[in-house]
Amino acid sequence: MKLTIGWLYPQLMSTYGDKGNIIVLKKRCEWRGIEVEVLNLDVDSPIENLKKCDLLFMGGAQDRQQKIVSTDLKKKSKILRSMIENNVPGLYICGAYQFLGKYYKEANETVIKGLGIFDLYTQNPGENVKRLIGNVAIESDFGTLIGFENHGGRTYLGKNINPLGKVLKGFGNNGKDKTEGAIYKNSFGSYFHGPILPKNPKLADYLIKLALEKKYDKKINLSPINNSIEQRAREVIAKRMGVAI
Amino acid sequence: MNILLIFLGKFITKFSRSLNLGHGSTWPGHIALNSNKNFIKDILKNSKIKIILIAGTNGKTTTSKLLQSILEEDQKKVILNESGANLLNGIASALILNTNIFGKIKKDFAIFETDENTLPQVLKELTPDVLVLLNLFRDQLDRYGEVNTIASKWKLAIDKLPKKTTLILNANDPTIVYLGKEKKTLYFGLNEKSNLTHAQDWADSVFCPRCNSKLEFEKIYFSHIGIWQCQGCGLKTPDIDLKETYSPLLGTYNKLNTLAAVLAAKTLGVNLALINKALKNFNPAFGRQEEVKIDGKKIKIYLSKNPTGFNESLRTVSSGKSILLVLNDRIPDGTDVSWIWDVDFENSIKNFNSIVVSGDRTYDLALRLRYASSKKIEVEKDLQKAIKKALKNTSEKQTLYILPTYSAMLETRKILTGKKIL
Repeated sequence: MKLTIGWLYPQLMSTYGDKGNIIVLKKRCEWRGIEVEVLNLDVDSPIENLKKCDLLFMGGAQDRQQKIVSTDLKKKSKILRSMIENNVPGLYICGAYQFLGKYYKEANETVIKGLGIFDLYTQNPGENVKRLIGNVAIESDFGTLIGFENHGGRTYLGKNINPLGKVLKGFGNNGKDKTEGAIYKNSFGSYFHGPILPKNPKLADYLIKLALEKKYDKKINLSPINNSIEQRAREVIAKRMGVAI
Repeated sequence: MNILLIFLGKFITKFSRSLNLGHGSTWPGHIALNSNKNFIKDILKNSKIKIILIAGTNGKTTTSKLLQSILEEDQKKVILNESGANLLNGIASALILNTNIFGKIKKDFAIFETDENTLPQVLKELTPDVLVLLNLFRDQLDRYGEVNTIASKWKLAIDKLPKKTTLILNANDPTIVYLGKEKKTLYFGLNEKSNLTHAQDWADSVFCPRCNSKLEFEKIYFSHIGIWQCQGCGLKTPDIDLKETYSPLLGTYNKLNTLAAVLAAKTLGVNLALINKALKNFNPAFGRQEEVKIDGKKIKIYLSKNPTGFNESLRTVSSGKSILLVLNDRIPDGTDVSWIWDVDFENSIKNFNSIVVSGDRTYDLALRLRYASSKKIEVEKDLQKAIKKALKNTSEKQTLYILPTYSAMLETRKILTGKKIL
């Protein structure tokens, strides 16, 4: 079996160790004998490369870099939308997660239009309001997810989208409604850095399984991997936060 | 009023030192600034002391110490803020310690290493004769925010500086070069052969700071440090005023630190013979390639606190066979450890025979290494035990290299030398 993983804007949208998510997806496939090709989909990469991908990943970025990306992403938005609507699995962190929403409203009321694929919007209250920073834990379909968040924007979900999980400790989407992240079809959005996948191997494996099942159109059972170091790393943070895992 | 604050400050320092309480390097300044927010301005008003500020993500302490050694070789009296005490209170404290009870400073130079976030505030309080800007890399995003945010705050503050200030900038770092436009500026940098051909994929500044176009790199030394040119607006590596020097410390990054210190010293009028003499006799700052001997075995400590620092440390020690990596996540380290996934362990970890990991986030580090290599690693959360293990794995003729984050470095030193530093 073989998977093609598309990494959207590795040069521009890669902060906070985002690369770790790609490393984890690739290795967890290879350890199981699944061949992996990672396509770097940078600015001006051909649209054909995007179409080839079985699994997508896009990370967060600094403001300046997001502006460069948004110009390029507009050219690819039609294809990306149809892939997401067609259940191509993907993981979208922080800036990427916000991009998929309807809009991003800055403190000075400037509205930056998003791709409108996810039914959500984001508001940034500005530099004078505290960023949401710290360790975070949520309850989800993939067990307790553990990570680190650091975002100024507050995201609010609409009716047509589900949260990734319920906040146990930390802030989540907006620090108010206890939701964190979003799930739409086979696409996942989240504010989790850490990065998200190394310490949450269940979610990593679920993405791989989804991608393989869609590509080969059959039920896939992934062989188990020893996650004991993952478990120890999770326990240290869970204990500090007073969260059961 | 200020005389009283100086008196009080000196007393507090003495008191906290004699009781070994630590924090003697920030308290006096903290109290003085709380009582008189213009304290630094007032003290410096009637002084002829020349001030050198040194800022950047990596290399502040080493560059400060290098410049101090050179100036002292020239028989000059120098004030330095203590490493880590690089906020306003640390600078005020250093001034208090070096001011007599009549409010006079009897020194020739003050070298202040300055925290990235604090630099704009410091520039409001004092006008440096020389401002050295080393580099900007991603570091502790939970505390500092993003590289571009810091750069734009620096730019605003630097644009307001008077003509008196000479800027000494790293020609190899695009973000730093952009800060020097239209100012009295000298550039240090490398222009030698390089082994790398493209910017590492997580490099921070591979886009033009002026027009956002992609930068073209002719040479890359590490991260985004190299010989570069913008394809859009033509901004490029400027003519380099100083690119050759003897460097007392290992590593490309330390050559850049040395170039910065030497160029600053030249600007301040020190002759080259004295500069070279000082460099030959240089002893590193604590934790920066510092050497300790235990039971006949050599230990070298390489402070490694962000991806670029870590990569360069790993590259520099790659001849070693035994390493101990220590990851803490306290305030001085940054509470977000995501950055370890940006370190290029994939290409470096295979060079070591013995690898031990420790620190508050031992298992995060172990997990990172598991994904980087199939090599066996030893996991020991207790630092004292981890050091013992790593030493056991090091033979008499070998060197054990310890790569700790900031607070882990202090702890490591404390264990190794039995002394408390801060």
